[in-house]
Amino acid sequence: MTAVIPRDRGGAYKEYPVIKCDIRLCVGCRICEVTCSAFHFGAVSPALSRIRVAKLEEIGIDMAVACVSCAEKSCLVCPTDALTVGEEGEIALARELCTSCQECVSACPVGAVGFYEDLPLFCDLCDGDVSCVRTCPTDALSNVDEGGESLEAFAASDGNPAEKRAAYVEVQGVPLRDSWAAGQRVDS
Amino acid sequence: MTICRGRCLRVDLTTQEIATTSTPDDGIGGRSWNSLTLLRELAPGIDPLGPENILCLSVGPLTGSELIGSCRFIASAKSPLTGYLGDSGARGFFAPELRWAGVDQIVFTGAAERWVYLLIDDGTVELRDASHLVGRDITETTTDLRRELHDPDLQVAAIGPAGEHLVRYAIISCNLARAAGRTGMGAVMGSKRLKAIAVRGSQPVKPADPDRFRRACTELEAAIEGHPEFESRRLYGTTRIMDSLAAMGVLPAYHFRSANFDEVEKVNGRALRRDHVVKPKSCYNCNIYCSRYNVTEYNEGEGPEYEAQAGFTVKCGNADLELAVGVSNTVNRLGLDCISTAEVIAWLMECRHEGLIADADVDGIDLGWGSREALLRLPEMIARREGIGNLLADGSRRAAEVFGPEAERLTAEVKGLELFSADPRGIKGYGLMNAVNSRGGDHYRAEPSIELTGDEVLAIRRVGNPDAAHALKEEGKGALVNYAEHLGILSDSLTICKNISCCMDVVDFDLAAVAYSGLLGKDVSPGQLWEVCTEVGQAERDFNLREGLRPDEDTLPRRFVDAPIPDGPAAGTTIDITRLVSDYYREKGWREPPPGEN
Repeated sequence: MTAVIPRDRGGAYKEYPVIKCDIRLCVGCRICEVTCSAFHFGAVSPALSRIRVAKLEEIGIDMAVACVSCAEKSCLVCPTDALTVGEEGEIALARELCTSCQECVSACPVGAVGFYEDLPLFCDLCDGDVSCVRTCPTDALSNVDEGGESLEAFAASDGNPAEKRAAYVEVQGVPLRDSWAAGQRVDS
Repeated sequence: MTICRGRCLRVDLTTQEIATTSTPDDGIGGRSWNSLTLLRELAPGIDPLGPENILCLSVGPLTGSELIGSCRFIASAKSPLTGYLGDSGARGFFAPELRWAGVDQIVFTGAAERWVYLLIDDGTVELRDASHLVGRDITETTTDLRRELHDPDLQVAAIGPAGEHLVRYAIISCNLARAAGRTGMGAVMGSKRLKAIAVRGSQPVKPADPDRFRRACTELEAAIEGHPEFESRRLYGTTRIMDSLAAMGVLPAYHFRSANFDEVEKVNGRALRRDHVVKPKSCYNCNIYCSRYNVTEYNEGEGPEYEAQAGFTVKCGNADLELAVGVSNTVNRLGLDCISTAEVIAWLMECRHEGLIADADVDGIDLGWGSREALLRLPEMIARREGIGNLLADGSRRAAEVFGPEAERLTAEVKGLELFSADPRGIKGYGLMNAVNSRGGDHYRAEPSIELTGDEVLAIRRVGNPDAAHALKEEGKGALVNYAEHLGILSDSLTICKNISCCMDVVDFDLAAVAYSGLLGKDVSPGQLWEVCTEVGQAERDFNLREGLRPDEDTLPRRFVDAPIPDGPAAGTTIDITRLVSDYYREKGWREPPPGEN
């Protein structure tokens, strides 16, 4: 992947590693949500998790969605400039500037920005030992230097974050569904 | 002594009033709260499908926590199928969500005039009109609600057409295919005109003593990953058991007429995985992820588990696995219990085989063994009570009363609840369990699974008797079933997956005590938990005695008591059920016949 060039903020972003989910391996157990919320808050609730699993039950598709460190950096829409891109390429939140307006939450095209107790939640890779990757029982999750995916195609997605996650995952699931229709089975 | 207490929502469907109270203060969550509530609050002798019945739905203090497999809710009421205590649990993702919404138990009383659903949105609870959902199957109901409430993550427990039509073995189902399947809790929900419960929650579950709690979680995780069945459960889930049961000679081929099913290789767990499974599926927070997603020429869906797989193949004499998987998906969507449905159909096929009924008696449907027409049409007819389906919807015991004593002789049910897909004569602990447990013929009430693994060391540890580990021995089975029942109540209360806690036998009272202590931040001893389970078991027995249960109902169907297994590896095996039940009564300290006999 090439380094990400921001459109309106000047300077090049450093490439930031992201959590990738292999949709073929995700079984929808939500252990990533459990460990993410437990790691950061010492408590369990998906509302506290920075990674969320979209479970499209009627078509058998599951996929965890976390910040993809997208090319567009849509969340930087922040009206009080509480959000910036940090030195490592991460999304950095200046808590004292945040007014809890949730515009960043709404702006993310794939619903990957959480919100809990008046603050948005961004994946911080657990300061190095990424808990969701470590505990994923199927190794569907990996921590890779592949940030910079363009989410332009999803920018016009309607709806709330959960609906956006579902819409994003439905598109990601098309090749897998096609392979099933063509006779692909779990061991074939 | 109060170990834990939860928040209880009281929903009066007649007046549409909702109040908040506490759960019973002498239980430990889930089933224990429900059973104690029903014993104390339900008037004896009421019509299970009348407004007087009470439907309880509970999670436990550990539900939705970091503890692996803590994902179940338990629905309880007086059963319309047995007339005794009914309850059933479902895995999936509904229960954790309910816990995150801050609700530990819901007690539904009365009946609504028009169809409603209950919406729980963290602190907000309301009954809403559900007239637009009537007639929708479980998948449609769930998907409709998610769409109209703009929440694809919404958790929904719903009934399908079967629950609406008061089929006595209708289920309550979440995540499209995770069912509270047994004893007709979906019919009770339908009788109250409650179509669904929709929940979203965000309140965290936080252990009061994190280090202690974490210790229990880590220990369980390690026990699961080090378990000899870990890999095969990952690959095949419960469908792995078909080969073992075939080897033990307890397959229920052609409705228990034979232990041999020549085409078992075509319908076993390996065949299922090879031909129909496209991916594994998981319930909440589980490192085994033993479920599966299937695609067939008929439809697609999650499952089947062993019971649907064996019920619609071996038991019905059907070697077409694709058909069976398709039927399993349909049965899930319609909201029928796959065990009772398969048993009713297989029994009907046997009645036809014996010449007790003709195809003309069943709307001209071909009832030959493995009949594709019967398997495709009967579930739909049962769920909507169409034609012969109206009679079959009342269960095999009631249907047999119409077809006469010869047909009655062929049924495989205890207390009105249809039996699972294994021959109880060749697995004595399970045979005893089916005879005595509080909900009737059923294996999942408590799993004396040691006799499936033959682990003598574990048998000594659990009940002090190595004989208990032998499927064909009758010694030690009273103690084994008593232990398994305690573990079953514990599992249904804390509310962990019983495939993990009971079948893999990796949760014991010691581990549970550490988990409770860590979560609650106070000392809970294994002995205290055991004692609560004893009291809850007795409460369930008392409930049934109050409803008129007689000790002579603690038995197996005559067909198993009177004749040996006809063929296969366990040919000639008989079961002395009287001896087994006496042993169990002694273990319980019950007089013979037990107290409360009317």
